[in-house]
Amino acid sequence: MPTPWESVLPNLLAGDAPHVAELPMDNDAFAGFYSRSARPLWAYLARVSGDPALADDLMQESYVRYLCASQPASLALEGEVAARRYLFRIATNLLRDHWRRPHSTSIEELPEEFFAASASSAQADSQAVLGPALAQMRPLDRQLLWLAHAEGYSHREIAAITGLASASIRLLLFRARRKIARLLQNQVQLPLSVRLNESARPESARPLNQRSQP
Amino acid sequence: MTLRPCSHEKEVAELLARGHYPQVCTPELRAHIGSCRSCADLVLVTRAFQAARAQTAAAVNLPSPGLLWWRAQLRRRNAAVERIGKPILGAQIFALSVCIVFAIGFLATQATHGLRWLSWLEGTSFGGFGWPLQMPQVPMLHLDALLNSGLGMLVLIPILATLVLLGGVAIYFASERKNEPR
Repeated sequence: MPTPWESVLPNLLAGDAPHVAELPMDNDAFAGFYSRSARPLWAYLARVSGDPALADDLMQESYVRYLCASQPASLALEGEVAARRYLFRIATNLLRDHWRRPHSTSIEELPEEFFAASASSAQADSQAVLGPALAQMRPLDRQLLWLAHAEGYSHREIAAITGLASASIRLLLFRARRKIARLLQNQVQLPLSVRLNESARPESARPLNQRSQP
Repeated sequence: MTLRPCSHEKEVAELLARGHYPQVCTPELRAHIGSCRSCADLVLVTRAFQAARAQTAAAVNLPSPGLLWWRAQLRRRNAAVERIGKPILGAQIFALSVCIVFAIGFLATQATHGLRWLSWLEGTSFGGFGWPLQMPQVPMLHLDALLNSGLGMLVLIPILATLVLLGGVAIYFASERKNEPR
């Protein structure tokens, strides 16, 4: 028997309308999915955007949109792999929206140095090598490189996530890989003494974003 | 720039994806990687990204999943309320506009043809009460006469005030709906 419309609104306002407010996963299933997928998603957003605070916001928004979206039926059939891909797609769209939006950044809003406080020597080394190279790439190239080489997605999956044609992914990825490989090689070949001198440089001589926090 | 994939690229990519490089790597393949630019780039870039992924993912402090669950539920409920409330608001606006049109039409008719019903009421007595209604002697109330006489102002002012009040209430409810927090 269909629900009379007069009763729908009071039920909704009282929070007793499971047929309308029901989410695609129950709380426990979501907690499991979240614990398996949140870290890779955050890493993707943080490295591609270069801003950990933005990555925090976009990751939370991605999960909320994922839960609110009426998901395609194929998602239920393909399981968690497809759900993860869908999540990355939402995050990619949010990143794109963020880059399209005109915004001004004040000096207070500049991101702090990436992982400055908690970086171990290995992290610092990875950041010192990959960070500057990634910063010189276009946002789209960063997305493609991360999805292909960090997440291990195929060209077809990357096409589904980014909305680009599968055929163009191969060419774009090839060019981006060649460019970042050249940048990485240049950095690796940088003499150790130069890097040591860099770290020994006085505080006032360093760029603002490389200075230690007071 | 030529886009010619190396025949060993797939094999190298699989080794890298499984984390088997360089442990499970034949000397021939290692020699090939040393001489093939495409495979060397693949190894360099993939290892850099894999290390960055592991280190970045380990460094994050994640918010509670319960918080995100609650936010999603709240947003979904608000969207459902808005979806259901939209036709109701439309019906309210439609009803108000019909009332306003009827009121304006009634006023226009009365202004053109005069308050004939007053003379009809004059001759009738109210059923059970049995006393005749005493009305002021106004034979034909045209707009000018209505506006000039005190009775006309007494009728018009409450009607206009009611319309203004109803319009204000409708606008208030409509704007309140729009300003609800998401």
